[in-house]
Amino acid sequence: MVKMEIDGRVFEVDGDGFLTDPSVWNDEVATLFARYDGITEMNEHHWAVVRIIRQNFEEKGMAPMVRVICKETGLKLKEIYELFPLGPARGACRVAGLPKPDGCV
Amino acid sequence: MDQEKKQKALKILSDHRDSKLLTQLSSCVHCGLCAESCHYYLAFREDKYIPARKVELVTSIWRRYNTFAGKHFPGLMGAHELDDLMAEELTDQLFGACSLCNRCVPHCSIGVDIAYLVRTGRAMLSEMGMVPATLQATVNAALETGNNMAIPEDEFTDTIEWMEEELTDEFGDNGPFIPLNQPGKHVLYTLNPREPKFFPLSIAAMARIFYAAGESWTLSTRMYDVTNYAFFSCNREDAAIIAQRLVDEVKAMGAARCVLAECGHGSRAFRWEAPNYLGQPFPFETLTNVELMLEYLEQGRIKVDPSKNPGVFTLHDPCNLVRSGGIIEPQRKILKASVGQFVEMTPNRADNYCCGGGGGQLAMSEYNERRMKIAEIKADQIRKTGASVVVTPCHNCVDQLMQINAWYKLNVQVKTLAEVVSDALIFD
Repeated sequence: MVKMEIDGRVFEVDGDGFLTDPSVWNDEVATLFARYDGITEMNEHHWAVVRIIRQNFEEKGMAPMVRVICKETGLKLKEIYELFPLGPARGACRVAGLPKPDGCV
Repeated sequence: MDQEKKQKALKILSDHRDSKLLTQLSSCVHCGLCAESCHYYLAFREDKYIPARKVELVTSIWRRYNTFAGKHFPGLMGAHELDDLMAEELTDQLFGACSLCNRCVPHCSIGVDIAYLVRTGRAMLSEMGMVPATLQATVNAALETGNNMAIPEDEFTDTIEWMEEELTDEFGDNGPFIPLNQPGKHVLYTLNPREPKFFPLSIAAMARIFYAAGESWTLSTRMYDVTNYAFFSCNREDAAIIAQRLVDEVKAMGAARCVLAECGHGSRAFRWEAPNYLGQPFPFETLTNVELMLEYLEQGRIKVDPSKNPGVFTLHDPCNLVRSGGIIEPQRKILKASVGQFVEMTPNRADNYCCGGGGGQLAMSEYNERRMKIAEIKADQIRKTGASVVVTPCHNCVDQLMQINAWYKLNVQVKTLAEVVSDALIFD
């Protein structure tokens, strides 16, 4: 376990910076995590992606397919990758407060 | 320490059915030449990161339990008990400070297969249930669900149908462009689960190439996962179960060729290691899509226009595919035909540096800080090329390179080889 400080707030995260306890997540945490990744302002598209990821996690216990993110938000794949330069997993899922997905991500 | 687990771990060092293990365990002459070849040592400059030191951890345990002098005079012989402290050090160094990149092996003065001994030590830890949790979770996902990201079959099919629609928009009703579960095709293609889960454009890219080549191919929705993370946890039984599933699926589909997606360790684990895991050769041909794409180009089955890929491209050599697998020139021939300008990194080919994400490092959050630190070498290599696009035929390397790009502010694009070829395709 690692402690990560952003703007004076301290979070318990895994070695990759994913929240250890997803239940402490809220909009403020999302904003701070996004800022840490260089996303200075979360726009409505960022929020739409984060909300659908969060909803899928709460319902199914895992990150959604990027297919679901595109379908539910109406965004194109290219736009998702531009919104979160580290990709849907290390970028968007981390901002949404999920644990790090398994596999080559 | 659980004595039963300890005995199982020690048994791995006493297994002399293969004389290779005994030879490797007793060969290091401590010359230290391997030090400068290892990205961990270069990044940290601490003795514990020298590959020979990692080997010594394993050989010291072997001497303690398997040699006369080590049993009776352990202090004199540098022979060590396998106790809790030693097991912790083994975990930290063999899982946490080695990406199994093999770069030290050709730099060894007498040719010790250092990575093989690291894998032997990892196998001991696996017997003791000491594989880092994040890596074991990925192995378990594969064992329990059939793919390492636990993607349900209906969600996989939904994603493929989405890509199918995109291709239909482009080429009209000539599909299916991504045939599913069709027996009797020439090729059964595989995927890295991160493609359907998060990065499906590489699936569409390969489908475009198959379409251009007029290939007879299919994907299986039951078994498409090219990865085998048990190759990293070094649990041979788990690795054999995962490999057997793909063998069974190729046979069930009646395909003549199993084509492996751009995945370094997956290619190695299936094509070169799995016949050993399973104790028999495969009754079908196995090749990587890198070799297949070159075959298409050389046979004139696909045509590419390099002007469709303007800019400067460089190539990252995945360790398992290149240094261990010997697939070195095909990706270069393909790139030279498909892009405006191609520049090599230095060093390259079999002497290339690992991206830092190999050996299961990308999956192991426990050692993230080290992983990003050793990646500085790769960042420098990329920066010096002046390239705007980094191509690599390995999805694992792609993800690590994406992180390097953000971390070290390189401002490059990272692409798979199939994506580059797909962008350059000419359809008559």
